[in-house]
Amino acid sequence: MPPSTPLLTMSAITKTFPGVRALDGVDLEVRTGEVHCLLGQNGAGKSTLIKVLAGAHRPDSGTITWRGERTALTSPIAAMRLGIATIYQELDLVEGLSVADNIHLGHEPTTAGFLVRRKDARASATRLLARLGHPEIDPARLVADLPAAQRQIVSMARALSHDVRLIVMDEPSAALDPDEVDNLFRIVGDLTAEGVAVIHISHRLEEIRRIGDRVTVLKDGRAVAGGLPAKTTPTRDIVALMTGRDTEHTFPPRPSPTAADLPPPVLRVEGLARAGEFTALDLELRPGEIVGIAGLVGSGRSEILETIYGARRPTAGHVLVDGTALRPGSVRSAVRAGIGLAPEERKAQGLLLIETVTRNVSLAALPRLSRAGWVDRAAERAAAQRATREISLRPDNPDAPVRTLSGGNQQKAVLARWLLRGCKVLLLDEPTRGVDVGARAELYAVIRALAAEGLAVLLVSSEVPEVLGLADRVLVLREGTVVHTADARDLDEHRVLDLVMEGSPAA
Amino acid sequence: MPQSPVPSRRGILLGTAAVSAGAVLTACTSNEPAGKKPANSPANDPAPAADDRPGKAVTIGFAGPQADHGWLNAINDNARARAKKYSDVTLEITEGSNDTAAQIGQIQTLINKKVDVLVILPADGKALTQIGLQAMRAGIPVINLDRVFASPQAYRCWIGGDNYGMGLNAGRYIGEHLKNKTGAKVIELAGVDSLELTRQRTKGFDDALKNYPNITKVARQAADFTVESGQAKTAQLLQAQSDFDAFWNHDDDQGVGALRAIAQAGRDDFLMVGGAGAKSAMDAIKADDSVLKATVLYPPTMSASAIDIARAVAQGKGVGGLAELEIPATITLYSAVVTKDNVDQYLPTGFS
Amino acid sequence: MTQPATPARRNDPAGPPKTSPPRRGDPRAAPGARADVRTLSLLGVLAALIAVGGLTRPEEFLATSNLQLVLTQASVIGVVTVGMTFVITSGGIDLSVGAIVALSSVWATTVATQEYGFTGILFTAVAVGVGCGLVNGVLIAYGGMVPFIATIAMLASARGLALQITDGKTQIVTVDSVLDLGVKDANILGVPPLVLVFAVVVALGWLLLNRTTFGRRTLAVGGNPEAARLAGIDVRRQRLYLYLLSGLCCGIAAFMLIVLSGSGQNTNGNLYELDAIAAAIIGGTLLSGGRGTIAGSLLGVLIFTTITNIFALNNLESAVQQIAKGAIIVAAVLVQHRTLREGRGT
Repeated sequence: MPPSTPLLTMSAITKTFPGVRALDGVDLEVRTGEVHCLLGQNGAGKSTLIKVLAGAHRPDSGTITWRGERTALTSPIAAMRLGIATIYQELDLVEGLSVADNIHLGHEPTTAGFLVRRKDARASATRLLARLGHPEIDPARLVADLPAAQRQIVSMARALSHDVRLIVMDEPSAALDPDEVDNLFRIVGDLTAEGVAVIHISHRLEEIRRIGDRVTVLKDGRAVAGGLPAKTTPTRDIVALMTGRDTEHTFPPRPSPTAADLPPPVLRVEGLARAGEFTALDLELRPGEIVGIAGLVGSGRSEILETIYGARRPTAGHVLVDGTALRPGSVRSAVRAGIGLAPEERKAQGLLLIETVTRNVSLAALPRLSRAGWVDRAAERAAAQRATREISLRPDNPDAPVRTLSGGNQQKAVLARWLLRGCKVLLLDEPTRGVDVGARAELYAVIRALAAEGLAVLLVSSEVPEVLGLADRVLVLREGTVVHTADARDLDEHRVLDLVMEGSPAA
Repeated sequence: MPQSPVPSRRGILLGTAAVSAGAVLTACTSNEPAGKKPANSPANDPAPAADDRPGKAVTIGFAGPQADHGWLNAINDNARARAKKYSDVTLEITEGSNDTAAQIGQIQTLINKKVDVLVILPADGKALTQIGLQAMRAGIPVINLDRVFASPQAYRCWIGGDNYGMGLNAGRYIGEHLKNKTGAKVIELAGVDSLELTRQRTKGFDDALKNYPNITKVARQAADFTVESGQAKTAQLLQAQSDFDAFWNHDDDQGVGALRAIAQAGRDDFLMVGGAGAKSAMDAIKADDSVLKATVLYPPTMSASAIDIARAVAQGKGVGGLAELEIPATITLYSAVVTKDNVDQYLPTGFS
Repeated sequence: MTQPATPARRNDPAGPPKTSPPRRGDPRAAPGARADVRTLSLLGVLAALIAVGGLTRPEEFLATSNLQLVLTQASVIGVVTVGMTFVITSGGIDLSVGAIVALSSVWATTVATQEYGFTGILFTAVAVGVGCGLVNGVLIAYGGMVPFIATIAMLASARGLALQITDGKTQIVTVDSVLDLGVKDANILGVPPLVLVFAVVVALGWLLLNRTTFGRRTLAVGGNPEAARLAGIDVRRQRLYLYLLSGLCCGIAAFMLIVLSGSGQNTNGNLYELDAIAAAIIGGTLLSGGRGTIAGSLLGVLIFTTITNIFALNNLESAVQQIAKGAIIVAAVLVQHRTLREGRGT
């Protein structure tokens, strides 16, 4: 193979799903040893493209050339045999299996072809995890017991367990803390030095600057630009390519009045705690206000939201809505009082994926849309459509299955549900996880608009700029304890990172 | 009506049938040697009916439950064979069903076809009472076989076995055998406990034992008329009772399993009495090489008699041998005890 | 749950200290430990039952012959449950097991089959079981049918065919070599041959689930079929194999039932599907798939059989037996959940 030959060339790839043209003639060229960044809004076709690469989807047309030879990626096994490994954002781990079993799933080291050599599997898992800088993950543990960040590491270990030439990473940094991201990039550096190519999908432009070599931008199932230099292409150009707009994403302006003008608090949290997760938390939330919680992955952020929501039973303290205490550990009680939650794991916790937009949106408001147990389907549809239009959910089709929606629009479906239900307090857990730059700005605007209508919003995010940009007030959380509370305008990213990282120099 | 001895049905279970060559599995589905038809009829002899010569042509509708059990299967066979004997009888026999709704539908169809007379063995007597009433109102006389309707208006004549009498005769037989033994113990393996007939059999058995104060019933378990359950429950009973003198089993089908469990446990220190009158049980009684010494009949030939009665009703005749001009309203059959002494007489009625 | 590790700590060659406080899942609750808690609680239930049996009928219950009896009675449904455990672990269900046992047992005991003696009966029983499993598997894996529907269809047809073959009659086995396997003289060192077969099936089942790629794939298909597919596992073929395996177990069980009852009857295997599912679920196999335990299933079957045994020894009515059986199912599951929660320390 002459050095000039690209490792992988995909040309004119198309893929159609019922009702959706996911890929519309995409071209992609990846060279040996490069980090090739794939950018695009959700729904642009990135996920479909990498699934084609992984052999999980077969394209309708187009050609794939691997090291100079035409090839057909007919199955996941075929892709793996060529040396293509894919790290998905989700869906690719089996929770009931151990870390070692997951790493070797489908290619277990065996005796006589079927007896698993468990010691070898453990040893090689330990080796891979150590190479990834996480020797503390026990290969014998169930993946179900691992937090999201460690699952990501396991996914990566699995990719490396193959003899790889190309690694596809779908938003690998989304669930990682800054120092873990550093660690990831160190590994990527090692790999590329060995001649392995990496396709990197990320929404964080600064990461692309740091490790990327070239960039391909997808929009609406087409590659609108290919092979741009990652380090030098102006951000403005990239965003313009992705969104078709000539703006960087911005946060909506805060309303001018201060807390003093706001009505009395709708939500009061008094001394709420859960042993081992977070300690006595006091919080007041007023209608029209957005309060953000900043903290690292595992600092207890999600746990706080879920405890307020009643999905976890507190070990101390209580939650009051309009002065009335909620039954601890009762979601029903929380929902009745007007609390809504948009969970972190949208797909697992928030949505009925195979159902339509209408059915998902109407779920929490069904009692109001039905009489004597009979759902008034016309009213249901109309109400759902009103709610989804209000926050411009795309496509504007109440019958589209939610699973066909992009991440940002799935999130909007969750928001629309609470909008329709008419809740007073909205808890948002990582609302923009897996949502790209263009769609984020829109989502921010929707959240701010909801607050302006009198909703109280409690927001949790691992992205400090997001908390600072969107929230009015910010709680900084470290290891389950609020270490600082301040007006968002009085904080900056550096200061927050200082606080959450125990005084160490912020990354 | 005396039972008429009838020739044996196919000797399948004796394993005498030869099999022709062929793919093992294909051949294995066959239970019958090729070419041999079940042409034999359970009642070839001139029946003691009022008139055996051809009379007015009669169409008899016959509806029974699904023949998933040896006894029910014998019911169908006996009815078919009896009907074939008469040149003036056309038999409309439905696909059996255990589902009340389905059986109602089948009977409805027979009513719509305007058969002359109906013979109904309901899957559930009480549940099918309405359809019996409907047929009677439509002017079609109903001969209710064995499982009785809730209202006498729903049938012209009921003919069936005597469950209470079965238990009574089984108890008497055991009582007579053990009457000189002090502190005698008996155990009972009942059939499906949710059925009324099981309760009646047990009641009869208990009543008979009251005449023998030296005998105590020490254990009773219910199986469910299947070989599998008979084996399992008997194995447990044998484990629980290391010493007893007699064993009454309600049903010869589950008795196959009971005998198997007894053989597996290597027990032969008691007397066993069966119920219903399966051919396998009669064979064992005749051979006299196991604990099974007797069985109490619940004769499946009742369906042949029902055909006779149906024909007589449709032709407006009575029963020979009785003074009355009319067919009786109810006929309860006698549960004879079959022992080694009289087994030859009953063997032809044994069902498999 | 990751600690906010400082860069300094990250550079520590020894890695972060292992004493990080527990967050989402307790790291001390290793999967092995968790399974043990579950199994222990089941053993506790079984021990309690044995205590009840020993106290109420000491002489009969604690006899060796009773142990042989309980294990023999457990063996047929036990073999079916092993197959069922695999199917449920993969996220499926097999409602046709009882019907397959019935069909296999009658097909293998027709006059024509009995002509071929021991081998003919054994071969036919197993072949019919595997054949039915194959049909189930093809319909589900390649026909895209929901397991519930496909196996319910198999239930209806297999029962119907069994009735057709027997014509409602009890087919008595006359092959002595088969019958002899079920009597005392055939015991090997006091162990009835059927119990031995049961033990071998359980041991092989345990190995297959816990030590082989087949087992891993079964868990993966049940836990996350999409992940399994992306890992390069042929999910459809795996599903086919699983229903084949269940069918095979039914065939073996049918042969065992023939030995035990000395006959074949179309009513055989009545409600086996419910008993097998209940035993597997009580044992700790997840009905939604992704987790399965053969040891748990074994305990589930033994608990059921012991209950029946104790009730029969104490001469209780079947109505009482059924009520108590239901109550014990609920109790066993509750005890399990409780111990599980306490075992996790929250």
